[in-house]
Order: sequence, then structure tokens, then C-alpha cells
Amino acid sequence: MHFSDFIIVFTASCIAITCALLGCFLVLRKMAMMGDAISHSVLPGIAIAYLLSNSRDSWVMLLGATAFGILTTLLIEQVHQRMRVQEDASIGLVFTAFFSIGVIIISAYAENIDLDQECVLYGEMVHLPLQSLYWGKQAIGPMAMYNAVVMLLLVLTAIVLAFRRLQVCTFDPGFAVSLGISVSVWHYLLMSLVSFTTVVSFEAVGAILVVAFLVVPSSAAFLLTQRLSHMLVLAALIALFSAVGGYYLAYWLDASIAGCMTCVAGLFFLVAFLSQRLLNKTIPLTKENTGTKAIGIN
Amino acid sequence: MKWPKIFIWCSVWLAFMSACTQAQEKKERLMVVCTTGMLADAVQQITGPDAEVIALMGPGVDPHLYKATQGDLQKLQDADIIVYNGLHLEGKMSEVLEALSAHKTVIAASDGIDPSSLRMLGAKVSDPHIWFDVKLWSKAVAHLAKQLSQADTLHRADYLQRHQMYQRELLALDSLVRTSLSAIPPPQRVLITAHDAFGYFGAAYQMEVRGLQGLSTVSDYGLNDVTTLVDFIVERKINAIFTETSVSDKSIQAVLQGCNSKGHQVKLGGSLYSDAMGATGTPEGTYSGMVKKNVETIVNALL
Repeated sequence: MHFSDFIIVFTASCIAITCALLGCFLVLRKMAMMGDAISHSVLPGIAIAYLLSNSRDSWVMLLGATAFGILTTLLIEQVHQRMRVQEDASIGLVFTAFFSIGVIIISAYAENIDLDQECVLYGEMVHLPLQSLYWGKQAIGPMAMYNAVVMLLLVLTAIVLAFRRLQVCTFDPGFAVSLGISVSVWHYLLMSLVSFTTVVSFEAVGAILVVAFLVVPSSAAFLLTQRLSHMLVLAALIALFSAVGGYYLAYWLDASIAGCMTCVAGLFFLVAFLSQRLLNKTIPLTKENTGTKAIGIN
Repeated sequence: MKWPKIFIWCSVWLAFMSACTQAQEKKERLMVVCTTGMLADAVQQITGPDAEVIALMGPGVDPHLYKATQGDLQKLQDADIIVYNGLHLEGKMSEVLEALSAHKTVIAASDGIDPSSLRMLGAKVSDPHIWFDVKLWSKAVAHLAKQLSQADTLHRADYLQRHQMYQRELLALDSLVRTSLSAIPPPQRVLITAHDAFGYFGAAYQMEVRGLQGLSTVSDYGLNDVTTLVDFIVERKINAIFTETSVSDKSIQAVLQGCNSKGHQVKLGGSLYSDAMGATGTPEGTYSGMVKKNVETIVNALL
């Protein structure tokens, strides 16, 4: 394995695992499409950042996008909690509003300028080794790689330290309140983590990988286990194997790396689904068992 | 779930995967990797058989929608020289390549062009489609030749000689475009396309250019854009409008129908090459072939 292959696989694995861990909570809270929502709603952030700075440099775009990513998740929580709108509907309400504001700003003030997430924000995994930093003469990997490690550690720490609280808040918010836990604080904390890691990961590896890995590994793990702790570990493992396997699929096919990683994750989901159907006939896939009720607090 | 088992599987998987890497081959010729086909053609004209020239974006690939593949990494790493257009044509990749120039020979073709002759679209943003004004492009080519001959001193004389010949060809091409287009009467000299990639072309050859879409292939056209364009076509009695090879022609079809419903017959003038060249091996697979084909299409449709 060359160093450049290692950089890509390592960065992608860290981001994939981070997304898979956060994805478990999102899937259980029926907010799995959060990643997709953020990928759209950063558009006004990009547009405003451009109009203010007159530049399309990465860090300016990242600043605007992060601000709007966090704003999106906070607003989605607000709409869901205050206006008593369903989770999926509140995601839909907020991100379509933001995206359309972005489209309007661009068509009104920057019509002739090539300005969208795809060309100014989303990174490309192929380019990661080319962005390597140098320690003297020695290439030591890109900034994105170190960012990914820091984010993974941050998310891991948050989950390990606050596991019980996050668990109670996710499965039974009412019970959590009765225990004196501030549910909304924990939700906001989780959502801020989601938005921050999502936007930073977009900048490093593009949108497809992030959106897919927030949903697919955790959904596959959800089919295989009934305990949150096992679900988190399984999702992380599936994410890791998808990232590594996907890279070699891309190598073999000479195709898009993020696309191949996502495909492998999809295959893992299929395998999880089939094995769950074939081996574990005791849990039939009925409506009662597909919701959060299938997993209890252990 | 048994943890030792999982870890064993993990390590087997990783070990298997890391065994799948290939040994690198040694290369003899200079390897130049270019982003677009137009650049690859220009570089090939200069280097001739002395270098291996590769384009990352193949025929018909829109630079705005280009997705890198795993193999592109190997090409970029093996490259002795990387050539890109610049002016943000390659999106975020331009930034990556610019940073890479600290460690590798990286040439931006647009650096050869005097900033004052660039079309400004925003305060600090200029139009990246520099290749349809042949004179302007020849300046970018001259910059490439200069940089290439500095990077490959062994073939310096050959490069400069081939470049001289190519400059003459471009000069002839420029006057060919000028004379061909001058056959169209001035009021009819209007080029209407889906995507605003012909700004420099219009400015250089006195063609009025109207596009439906903004510069980015992703930005959508507004309702007003279609109506304004339809009114313009009907008023000026324009014969033909054009589609483009690398952009969908949906929007231009809307204009076509709009004009026909107002009783003005406007025909589809044909397809123009805009962001990418034709298939390799065909005449349109080279820069000059592509320009000639475009001019031929335009003259045939508007005359």
C-alpha cells in the first residue's frame, strides 16, 4: 500500500466511522436525511460568503457553509420541537427554504459566476494526497486527514462520555425529562456535532460519502442488533469495511472513489437485510418491529 | 458477538486489501497531464513525440461536472508536469493544483494572458472559457511553450520550433474564422446558445452572444430569461439558435417552441463544441478542428 493510498483510505475511514456513529442516532431519531439536508442548505452560506468577500477560496466557502450548516440543524430542531412538526417534515421545510434562498441570491447577484457546492466546497478524495503538508521534505498527509482524526475523536469522546444520556434522550425523551435530563440540550449538542462534522467532511471528501455514510451503515447495523452499543460498533465496522473495500473497488474499476465506497456500503446493507431475513426469522419485518421500538434501553 | 473473532476478520480484510497494490513501472518519456482536451492538444502540438500527453477530462466531458476517478490520482502523481486552465474552470481542483505548484511543475494556461484582456464577471472573477478567441488562446499556448521548454531543457529547441509552427497555424486559423464569419451580415451576427461559453468568441469576432444559462452548468435559467430571449429572436428575425455538445439542450428547446408559437420560424442551427472537444481521431478531436467545425456550423445556419 502506497502512502497516497493510505492517506485516502485512512481519511475516508475516519470520516466514514464518524458519520456512521452519528448516523445511528439520526436513524433512531428518524432524521437520517439530515446529511442530505445540510448538503443543500449550505448554498446560501456559500453565496453570502462570496458576496461579502468577493472570493471563492476554500476557507471562505467553508466558513459560510459551516455557519449555515449549524443554523440548519438548529432550525430543524426548533421547527420540530416548537411547531410540533414531524422530524422528516421539519427537515424538508428547513432545507428547501434555505436552498431556495441560495438559488435566489445566486440568480440575483451572481448569475454569471460558477458558484455552487459542487465547484467551490466539495472536496475530492483523489486530490487528498496532492494536498499533503510537508515536514521538512517529508510528506505527512493533508490537513483534511488530521481534521478527520480530530472529528472522529471528538465524536467518540462525546458518545462514550454521554452514552447513557444520549441513549435515554433518543429512545424515550419523556422519561429523560422525568429524570431531570435536559433533552433539548443533548439534542442540540448532537445536532451541532452532526452539522459541523458534515460540513467539514464535505470540504474534505465531497457530499456523496457523507450523506450515504450517515444513513447506510447505521441502517444495516439496525437490522442486525437490538442494542444501541452493538449498533454503534457494527455501524462503525461496516463503515470501515465499506471505505477500505470501496477504495479497492474504485482502484479495480478506475471509478469515482466516493461512489464505490457508497456502493460497497449498499452491498453491506443488502447482506445485513438478507442475513436478517434468512437467519433470524424470529423477528419478522412488521411495522411494529421496524421502528425504534425494536431496540430497547439495555 | 465475539470480539476476538471480529478483530481477526478485520485484520484478514486489511491484510488482503493491502496485498492488492501494484508495483510501479518506470517511465522514460516526459509525462504531461492536462485537465481539458484543448490543453492536451496544445501541449501535444508543442512537445510532439517527446512527451506523453494525457487529458483527465475526455471528449464531451463538461469541466463543471467532471468527477475524478481513482486512476486520475496515479496520473497526477506520475506526471512530470501538470497543465490546467485556471480561472476556476476546474473548480476546487484549480486550488489544489495551485497549491501543488510548490512541489511540482504546475502550469496554468491562463497565466499567459494579460489580466486586462480577460472578461470580468464579478469584482474578482473572470470568464474561464479562454479558448474560443484564437488570438487569446495563442497567448496561452505561448505561455505553455515557454514553461514547457523551461521544464524540459533537453528538448527545448524542438519545443520552441514546433511552437513557432503551431503559432503560424493558429494565426491562420484566426484569420480563417474572421473571414468566414464576415460573410454573415452584421444584423444577423447573433450567436444564441444554451450556455454562456462563447463570451470571448463574441468579443473577438464581433458576434453578439446571448445565452440562456449562466456560466455554471448547474445554475438554472429563469422564466424571464426565456421570454426575453424569445422576444429578442422574433424582433431581430434570427434564423437559427444552437445547442452544445457538453450541455443538455432542454433550455434551448424551450426557446425554440416559444419562437414558433409567436409565428417566427427559427431553426436549430446545430450543435457547437463548447467546453470539450469531439472524439479523438475525428477532425473535431483537435482544437483547430473544433474551432473550424463551430464556425462552419454557425456560418451555415445564419447565412
